[in-house]
Amino acid sequence: MTYSFDFASVFRNLGPLWDGLLVTIQLTVAANAIGLTLGFALALLVMSRWAAIRLPVMLFIEFFRCTPAIIQIVWFFYCVPMLFNVFLGSVTMGILALGLNLAAFNAEAYRASIQAVPREQLDAGVALGLGPFQRILHIVLPSAVRNSVPVLLTNGIGTFQQSALVAIVAVQDLMYQGKTLATQTYRPIETFTVVALVYFAVSFPVSQVVGYLERRREALAS
Amino acid sequence: MPDSAPLVRIEGLHKSYGGVVKVLQGLDIEMKAGDRVVVIGPSGGGKSTLLRVLMGLEKIDSGSVSFAGKSYISADGGRTAIDAKVRRSIGMVFQHYTLFPHLSVLGNLVLAPMKVRGEKRAAAEERAMALLTRFGLAQKARSYPAQLSGGQKQRVAIARALMLDPKLMLFDEVTSALDPELVAEVEQVILQLAQQQMPMVIVTHDMWFARNIASRVIFCAGGVVVEDGPPEQVLGSPKGERTREFIERVFHIRH
Repeated sequence: MTYSFDFASVFRNLGPLWDGLLVTIQLTVAANAIGLTLGFALALLVMSRWAAIRLPVMLFIEFFRCTPAIIQIVWFFYCVPMLFNVFLGSVTMGILALGLNLAAFNAEAYRASIQAVPREQLDAGVALGLGPFQRILHIVLPSAVRNSVPVLLTNGIGTFQQSALVAIVAVQDLMYQGKTLATQTYRPIETFTVVALVYFAVSFPVSQVVGYLERRREALAS
Repeated sequence: MPDSAPLVRIEGLHKSYGGVVKVLQGLDIEMKAGDRVVVIGPSGGGKSTLLRVLMGLEKIDSGSVSFAGKSYISADGGRTAIDAKVRRSIGMVFQHYTLFPHLSVLGNLVLAPMKVRGEKRAAAEERAMALLTRFGLAQKARSYPAQLSGGQKQRVAIARALMLDPKLMLFDEVTSALDPELVAEVEQVILQLAQQQMPMVIVTHDMWFARNIASRVIFCAGGVVVEDGPPEQVLGSPKGERTREFIERVFHIRH
């Protein structure tokens, strides 16, 4: 191989990459805030016994789960402003697109853990005189949230990586800054290597935490 | 409550699943305050369903159940009316999976007293510790269910039910899921309650236990009461052919 690596041009321009990382983290944190809360509400609605509530929510969830994220983002940036005459600024739009996508996936994680709470525990709740709302609050919720934590974290870090897709609609995140730098310096290999390492450096510790939590949960499963 | 009034009166109880699978087909049982009823019978005979109906966990097709003279479960044109206030006088322990895994032993015990009765945490914990001490579980108060043996879990479940001062206890095959060597410690606790005159209805496959704890044995099969009497009679010299066959099969090891 005759290619000679030159990382100096990348390291001279860490400023824009740092700014990009901050935007990426902002996107991730805000999208997770939406995903964790809206996802939970969606999970409750999708288990409703009324089809009029259940079916539209199911459709919403499946739409986001069954189409490519990149199409959702493009659609959000170009179609939503045209159809509804709203444009909220590119970062906000990115947050909404990623947040709704994450909410759909988290809803499934919540639903699975809620349904995994053994029926007998609810019977025990009735036998102890707890009302329907108290049974949800004190029996179902704590178990369901604990059981869903590893999947929620995995989904959340997935959104961190997926947020790179908003670069194609000119949100100035880490990926966008990387692309710009690559063109300016004519050093795409070095630039994208550094960008990849930055994504890795954030994701890897979180995936280790997920692994630890899963092992602990297995040890505590009764 | 006059002495003559039964503690529990079950009248014409019918229960089916979707009108097809008929589980209870006209059950009439009266239970006095001093009774310790053991219900035996083949699987699918309606024993556990009977207990679940008494606890208000199942809908019924027709009939009624009253407790201490007050009707609390009745079938009313396809709907089952349950008086939640009366139901609170009844405690139940199940076969398994019933401790809340996210709460410590102490947390499991004080949850209902605090949330249902509005008891203060300190007062509830004090009563809980007294119960746990009585059941030999004081050192486990801060443990989580996953750290307990099956026998310990069931003893905690019994203590948890007792926290609400029930006037009647229901035990639904509470030792069936346990390893054989853990059965005795749980049965011991129930025997201890029996000595304190706690009225109870027990569903069990353990005939040794049935003989030792029952003041009365009911043989249930096909959704009806086939035989009802003192343990010596029902277990020792049953009148009905079906009862005799069942008892012989259960005791076949000794023949």
